Amino acid sequence: MPLVELDRVSFSYPDSPQRALESISLSIEAGEYVAVVGPNGSGKSTLLRLFDGLERPSSGTVRVDGLDAADPINRRMVRRAVGLVFQSPADQIVSTSVEEDAAFGPENLGLPRAEIARRVDAALAAVGLSGDRKRPSYFLSPGQQQRLVVAGAIASGARCLAFDEATSMLDPEGRETVLGLIDDLVADGTAVVHVTHDMSEAARASRLVALDAGKVAFDGTPAEFFDPEGMAPELLRIRLGMPDRDLVARAAGLTPVAGEGAAELASRIASRLGSRSGVRPSALGGAGRGGEAGQRTRAGEGGAAREPSGEAFALEGVSHSYLHGTMNETSALRDIDLTLPRGGVVALVGKTGSGKSTVLQLLDGLVSPFRGRVRSLGVDLGGKGADLRSVRVKAPLAIQRPEAAIFEPYAGDDVAFGPRNLGLSGKELVERVKGAMEEAGLPYAEFRDKRARFLSGGEKRLLALAGILAMRGEALLLDEPTSALDPSARQAVREVIRAEAARGTTIVMATHSMEEAARADLVAVFHSGELVATGAPERLFYEGYDPAWGIARPFAAEVSFALEKADVASGPRPRDVAELASALSRQAAEDRA
Amino acid sequence: MRGIEFFRNVSIGQYASTGSRVHRFTPATKYLWLLALMAICIAASSFAAQAFALALSLALGAAARLRPGFLLRGTKPLGPLLVLLAVLQFFFATSGDASAVLFALGPFSMTSAEARLSLMAAARTVGLVTAIGLFTSVTSESETMHGIEDLLRPLARLGLPARRLSLAVGIVFRFIPVIALELESIVKAQASRGADFGSGRGGPIAKARAYLPLFVPVTLRALERAELLAVAMEARGYSEEGVTRYAIYERTRGEGLARLAAAASCAAALIIDILVRPLGL
Repeated sequence: MPLVELDRVSFSYPDSPQRALESISLSIEAGEYVAVVGPNGSGKSTLLRLFDGLERPSSGTVRVDGLDAADPINRRMVRRAVGLVFQSPADQIVSTSVEEDAAFGPENLGLPRAEIARRVDAALAAVGLSGDRKRPSYFLSPGQQQRLVVAGAIASGARCLAFDEATSMLDPEGRETVLGLIDDLVADGTAVVHVTHDMSEAARASRLVALDAGKVAFDGTPAEFFDPEGMAPELLRIRLGMPDRDLVARAAGLTPVAGEGAAELASRIASRLGSRSGVRPSALGGAGRGGEAGQRTRAGEGGAAREPSGEAFALEGVSHSYLHGTMNETSALRDIDLTLPRGGVVALVGKTGSGKSTVLQLLDGLVSPFRGRVRSLGVDLGGKGADLRSVRVKAPLAIQRPEAAIFEPYAGDDVAFGPRNLGLSGKELVERVKGAMEEAGLPYAEFRDKRARFLSGGEKRLLALAGILAMRGEALLLDEPTSALDPSARQAVREVIRAEAARGTTIVMATHSMEEAARADLVAVFHSGELVATGAPERLFYEGYDPAWGIARPFAAEVSFALEKADVASGPRPRDVAELASALSRQAAEDRA
Repeated sequence: MRGIEFFRNVSIGQYASTGSRVHRFTPATKYLWLLALMAICIAASSFAAQAFALALSLALGAAARLRPGFLLRGTKPLGPLLVLLAVLQFFFATSGDASAVLFALGPFSMTSAEARLSLMAAARTVGLVTAIGLFTSVTSESETMHGIEDLLRPLARLGLPARRLSLAVGIVFRFIPVIALELESIVKAQASRGADFGSGRGGPIAKARAYLPLFVPVTLRALERAELLAVAMEARGYSEEGVTRYAIYERTRGEGLARLAAAASCAAALIIDILVRPLGL
């Protein structure tokens, strides 16, 4: 008997003419590892909510362990068997201490205290949180919070765990630990259903289900799904991207192998292409940015060594702590010295809580340092009579999830908030708003009178960015501008940032995406409140890399550095997977010739 | 205020885990102390009794290894409200008030009885906020909710939804810092778009107007987060019947004494109150 079985299930939300799911038949066996992918609005989250009886199908049946999930009588058994892990870590924690939160499910099942204690012990051990059991749950990192939610499900006796984009708000390390936990769960015989937008994550599963407009469009193995030739042409558009590993392997003329890491892949490529020692490939202009020479050129172009005449921001001996002078004082930054040049893109990277957001807020005068000096666009923020407001409007900050601050009912009015504070009115104001919205990819005529509340998640983020762009500042401070977005919205935001950088705006952004960091001109790495490294990504992610930073190396850099060491690649250092893939396919073509 | 950090001045809802003797009392005992202190602040109308209650809170705070400054900081944001109360006293007359007029402006006057009322309101507020701040500093949120459950257990047999109530209280406490941080980040977002916060400029009306764009997003975010939490609880099988509890609180030595002391302090303060009342203190 399957663990979860959907039989011709259709579902529509109240007040919505469209069906969220249409006649879905699907079964999940005990111990299976299934990835669910699909464009936005294809019904992925709805599917998980049906598994758990949070929604009742309009027609058809959902059975969990043979029990009808829609029947209230079976609710307890169904919710015990299937555990859900949602996107936003902090919003799933019910209790304030770690062990009590893990106990919440078993308490609801009415288990005796001794049994709860035994299960809590085992569950916390399984997710690696035994040492944190007495801590307040909100002091955990987001990755730990997601693991705690899993512990709660294990303690309730879950035999299937369903993750709904549960890694999209985590830093790279948190993501790795959650993916590792998923592997452990699968190894222990727990079924895992993983809804994700990340194709590299989807490729880890043993089965892949793709949804499109509420229907199952594909159900098979990830290898079949990502096979460039294997898919029916009408389904190609639902393949939202390829796993990095597949792109790189195929470019080198190899077949991707499930579960293969960057190092193994690099050694396979090395033996396939052979040593190129002494050969400088003419591809990408030969004497480009590769190797030692490349670093020098690159640094001169736009990196750390940019002419100091153009300083945009500077931190001198800055330390800061939150809740200063209270019992819960926490140090956020210690002795930071950092100068950021005018123009170009700076990426601040580091684990959650390493101090990136604090740096951005210091630069904008939203936080005043407890020690040290901050200079922004030539103004000493701690100086007497420093006009913080004028600095803020010249270097506006987009907070994390900036769409949370949208307050006007209509999109256009919200964008106008900033320019109106600058004193703009009439035609000038309209032009400013229009320009900003067009730049953000929200055509003015179409969007100005749309209700902000009803925009999609990605459109809301772009609207919030339009509100910042409308300030026409000299710099943009962005706090995780692409977090928790789906791939197409993320791409749209990246394009906005690229366009702004091209018009000469200084961009300082905190990011968890190493792909974004690898495309920046300068990267600053933070670790527990200290600045541990700065430099061009071509150095930082290669010989300059230190695993102790707690951030992952970009996949392209990892493969390409291993190839350099194996004397296979000596050309320019690729900045992303696409550049690496095109260099490799050129090299493979040369070999064939 | 040059930097924007709201949470720093919120002493309510910040559990300060110092592991002191006071922290180790059962939640029920802590609730009794809170009730005793609040009863004094509300019932007593003499400054002596109010001072007694405040001193008691600070003394308990010291025993819990909390600095007086930390406990008193929570009263700071209430300053403007208290000033407003005093101003209202000035504009409105109390009927039958025959006490001496301290100063007058046109038809409005401030009498000594009105001045005393304003000061008493301030003293009560400071006393209450300090007592609540002390309670939340020594009581973790889960103790807060379990304490209510324990205190209400006798009534649960009469059909009172004790678990639901205790969970509601727990979530209220959990949401205080959540909303404060949410508000802070939205203020920062608006400040970055030229709204005037934290630059120390502008009069009170300009300041009040600057806060208008905050209400909509903060309320929406609070509702959004509440809904997410509700769904997560539902998915984790929340139920009110046939549930058990994992956390247990063992009575420590001196527990009974501490409870008696709470009742005795309350009684003592109210007796002092009656004794000093004729003296006008």
